Amino acid sequence: MSSVLKGNFKAKKDVEIKKKQDESSDEKFEREIMKHVGGSIAFVKKKKVDWGTKK
Amino acid sequence: MTAKDNPDHIQSGKWAEEIIAGMDQITWDRIGQMSLDNARRNLNVQDRGQSLAKLRNQTLGDGGSCIVVASGPSIKIKDPVKEIKSSGYGGAIICAESAIRYLLTNGIVPDLVVTVDPHPSRVVRWLGDPELTEEKLAKDDYFRRQDMDDAFASELATNEEILNLLDKHGKNIKIAMSTSSGEAVVQRVLDTGMEVYWWNPMLDDPDEENSATRELQEMNGLPSVNAGGNVGAAAFMMADAVLGIEHVGLVGMDLSYYDGTPYRNTQYYEALLRLADEEQLESFFIRIFNKHIGEWFFTDPAYMWYREVFLQLAADADCKIYNCTEGGILFGDDIEFIALSQFLGNHT
Repeated sequence: MSSVLKGNFKAKKDVEIKKKQDESSDEKFEREIMKHVGGSIAFVKKKKVDWGTKK
Repeated sequence: MTAKDNPDHIQSGKWAEEIIAGMDQITWDRIGQMSLDNARRNLNVQDRGQSLAKLRNQTLGDGGSCIVVASGPSIKIKDPVKEIKSSGYGGAIICAESAIRYLLTNGIVPDLVVTVDPHPSRVVRWLGDPELTEEKLAKDDYFRRQDMDDAFASELATNEEILNLLDKHGKNIKIAMSTSSGEAVVQRVLDTGMEVYWWNPMLDDPDEENSATRELQEMNGLPSVNAGGNVGAAAFMMADAVLGIEHVGLVGMDLSYYDGTPYRNTQYYEALLRLADEEQLESFFIRIFNKHIGEWFFTDPAYMWYREVFLQLAADADCKIYNCTEGGILFGDDIEFIALSQFLGNHT
C-alpha cells in the first residue's frame, strides 16, 4: 500500500503532530492518542473461519 | 490500493499513509485487551445463546443470494430499502447492528444481525440504550455529528423508537454476536430476546504460538471468524464463510463520505483532533475517484484500511460479490460494482 499512497495531496498548512516534550513519554503518548483512530476489530490475513472442535 | 488503481485517482493526505501503515497495531491497541476482557465476562452468559457453528450452511431467506446492509451515508441518499421491498426480493437480509433501525423502521426484519465492536458505550446505541440520559448525551456527541443515520441526531426520541422496535421484533431476529461485545450490548441483546449465535473474532493468527485467538477458542469452545476490521466486513464474512451464500450484494458499504461533507461529520473527527488542529485535518484524509459512477469521495485512515482489508477478503471469498452501494470507494478486481436494480433483477 505504501508504494501507492504517496501523500500526493498537499495540505494548506504544514502539519505538526501534537507531541509532549519529553522524548521518553513521546511514544507512549502517541500510541495512546493513536488508539482512537483504530479499527473496530482486528483483521488476519489469509484466514476465514476456524471452526474449532469443542462445540 | 490495488496495483491497477490509477494513482491520479487518489489524493492522499500527508499523514494518512503513515496511519494506515500502522493500522494493524493501532487497532490491536484499541481493541485487543478490551475484546479479551469482554470475552471472559461473556462466558457467564454464553449459555443464553448457541455457537455460531449452528448457523453454518443454514439457509436464510430463499437461499442463493443475500444483501448485506451497512449504514454508510449512501443509505439516506439512495434509500435502498425502497427498491428491495418493491422488487419482492426473497433472499436473506444480513445487516450490521448500525443498520437495524433503518431496516425495522422501513418494515424489513433482517434475517441476521451482526455485532463485533467491543466499545463499552457506543455500540449499544444502535440497539437502543435503556440507560441513555441527557447527561450521557452531553458527554458524547458521536452520534449527533455523524453523516450516517440522521435520526440518531435527535437522540432521545430515536433511542426510544429503537428500544420499542427491538422490544417488539427482537425475538424474531437472529444475531451473530461476537464474544468481544461490550456488557451493555450483550445485556440489551439478551433483554430483547434475540436468538444469539456466539463467535470469537480473530484477534491474531490462531495458528501462531501464544495466539490470543487460540486462547479465546480454548476458553469458550466457539468458532473464530476473521471479522475484517469492522462490522460490515464481519457481516459479509457471515454470508460468505458461515452461511455459504453464493451471490452477495452490498448496500450502504461506502467506507467513505460524499465530497463536501464537513470533517466534523466524519466518524473519526474527534480522534483526529487529538493528533492535529482543525485547520490541519485535511492531511489525514484521502480523496478517491470512483470511476464507476464518475464521482469523488473522501475517506479517513480507518475507512481506507477497511477498504484494503475488504479487498483482501474479496480475493479469498468463495462467493460472488456485487457492490450495489452506488457510491463510495469499495471497488476492485473481485467486486462487481453494479446498480442495486441490476442485482435485484438477477436475484429475485
